[in-house]
Amino acid sequence: MAPMEVDRADGRTSNQLRPLSCTRNVLHRAHGSARWSQGDTIVLAAVFGPKAGTKKEENPEKASIEVIWKPKTGLIGKVEKEYEMILKRTLQSVCLLTIHPNTTTSVIVQVVGDDDRPELSLIQLEVQMIIKNNSSIIRAFLALRITHVMGLRTPQLLPCAINASCAALADAGIPLKYLAVAICCGLTGSRSVILDPTKIEEKVFSYSCMLYLLVDYFNCLDRGYAACAKISEFLRRSMESQAPSDLTKTT
Amino acid sequence: MEQRLANTWQMTVNERKFIEMALAADLRVDDRGPFDYRPCTITFGRHFSFTNRVGGSSEVQLGETRVMSYVTSQLVQPYRDRPNEGTLSIFTEFSPMADPAFEAGRPGEFAIELGRIVDRGLRESGAVDMESLCVVVGKLVWSIRVDLHILDNGGNLIDAANIAALASLLTFRRPECTLGGDDNHELIIHDIEDREPLPLIIHHLPVAVTFAVFGEGNIMVIDPSYKEESVMGGRMTITMNSNGDICAVQKAGIGISSSVIIRCLEICAVKAAEITSKINHAMESFNDGRSIQYPNFHPVDVAIQDNLPDVIMDKKQIENLIGHLAALPLDALDRNSNKSGAVVVGTNTRAKFENNQARDGVPFYSPSNWDPYPRKLCSRLARSSLKLSGLPEDVEEDKVNTTQSVTVECGLEHTKGASSSRALETPSEYTTVEATSQYIKAPKTLKDAVKIQNRKMRK
Repeated sequence: MAPMEVDRADGRTSNQLRPLSCTRNVLHRAHGSARWSQGDTIVLAAVFGPKAGTKKEENPEKASIEVIWKPKTGLIGKVEKEYEMILKRTLQSVCLLTIHPNTTTSVIVQVVGDDDRPELSLIQLEVQMIIKNNSSIIRAFLALRITHVMGLRTPQLLPCAINASCAALADAGIPLKYLAVAICCGLTGSRSVILDPTKIEEKVFSYSCMLYLLVDYFNCLDRGYAACAKISEFLRRSMESQAPSDLTKTT
Repeated sequence: MEQRLANTWQMTVNERKFIEMALAADLRVDDRGPFDYRPCTITFGRHFSFTNRVGGSSEVQLGETRVMSYVTSQLVQPYRDRPNEGTLSIFTEFSPMADPAFEAGRPGEFAIELGRIVDRGLRESGAVDMESLCVVVGKLVWSIRVDLHILDNGGNLIDAANIAALASLLTFRRPECTLGGDDNHELIIHDIEDREPLPLIIHHLPVAVTFAVFGEGNIMVIDPSYKEESVMGGRMTITMNSNGDICAVQKAGIGISSSVIIRCLEICAVKAAEITSKINHAMESFNDGRSIQYPNFHPVDVAIQDNLPDVIMDKKQIENLIGHLAALPLDALDRNSNKSGAVVVGTNTRAKFENNQARDGVPFYSPSNWDPYPRKLCSRLARSSLKLSGLPEDVEEDKVNTTQSVTVECGLEHTKGASSSRALETPSEYTTVEATSQYIKAPKTLKDAVKIQNRKMRK
């Protein structure tokens, strides 16, 4: 199936990402912090390094990760809890949990900008992929989240948050297996894949697209793969530029 | 929760004694005068975004303290005893990222106190005009909600939060709504594209100034840092406006004599005026930036051409343009965080991109040709000068292709930057007929832009 070139509202082609920006060590009290922005979607992540003790239901033989998601406005509801859960599972697979057993690392994510326009519309299908890189070799993805999102407002917040948390964890000096990056792919009604959709673009997605073919799914994966490679390159470069003079803050 | 307490920061006895002794000798640990504020920076929303039109988003950095404020509005039914007034509510979020001692969820005592102080200053002094928020008496009024997020606790949260709330309320714009329809009973909320949103009416700016009390109630300092706060014996916050009217006073801790309080009020008057002028100054530069970005609303069609020769703006031209756009609020973090390196994929890393071109077909999107709201003109011109990232790559062709595609805007910028140095003084220049005529027909190529430059130079 030949990919159709979709005309996107902001002039990008279907493969183009929004401009990325990453700043680390933004906060003074937090052990590690990073601010990640993809276009208008901006997320600030802060990490407080291993603290003693775990919660009751957590396994004390491993480090546990606690995620707190703070929306821009409003009370914390189910959406935020879902984000927290997804982020927690992702970060658990990224961090080396056996190094600091019986500790809790807190990751706090604050949404600073979420591409907020009043005309919201439902999106029907969205594939978010998390792809891990190991040095220059791209490994197969380890975690895959498919979310059928009905009425979830901002699908592109989660990849942004994953990127920000990963950068913040690296800034705090928490031992990680790899650097995780995430990208959001959308599937339009005409079965073409667009990367990094913004909120406005969700109008394009048609209601009838609830079932998607396996072929589309793999198509999504391939595109997302390539995009993630780019993002992880960017992340690496931004870290390397600071590495020599940077002092870690973990005790 | 004993584990949580074990993780909180405790001040050592040595540090405490050191700070107390220094203050007794009229010295502060961070080398400030006793009545000096830390450097304060106010930044607004983000550029090029929807919030720039609606406003209402500000971030204040006061020394190490960082507070973010976000204003939203909603139409609700008014309170029964005030049927012709809108409502204003302040919500404070003490995020655990600011301080490990803050717990997520339930606000602590201090969070509630801070919310009340800011609320009292704004609402009860009548700073925000409530009656103008009324739409239909007794049925529909605007409810303004201010969310204060404390991101970094470096001391003196009250002042920082107050400034953030003021800044965001000043830049907030609510959509205009009129009564229309057949029988004039239908409420129409105009989209911000159709009608310019309206600002809130703010009569005066109540500024909070916090004093920390040490010793026996005789040593007062302004703007305590985090360490000074943990040593202080008492605290007094005075909310005043630049006219010298006292809006609110909040005092806690050890007793202070009345003469000291009078002295503090006098100092506060000076400080309030200073901070008010700082806020106004930040507002002006933000509004200038906003008016440049959105002078009119011509729909624009620009095609992206592939395989064009590369137009590279050299460093000097970029700096010229950036200098001219100094009126726009730059990315806060680029200026403020001294520690961090704001890594934006800039022109100096473009060399690396050229090497990686052939590997995968996923391009980076250059902000110069990315526009989330394509109906507006010339915000792109402003944007592209601030962050030039890697140029978009050709997706279809897999062969190693060193030419990179560039949009018309780059070309236009090139001509503007090269030919004239009067880029920003008259914003209308961007929207002169000469410029817009290039955009209306599509697709345009870079050559057209370059041709115009030649014509200009020949003249």
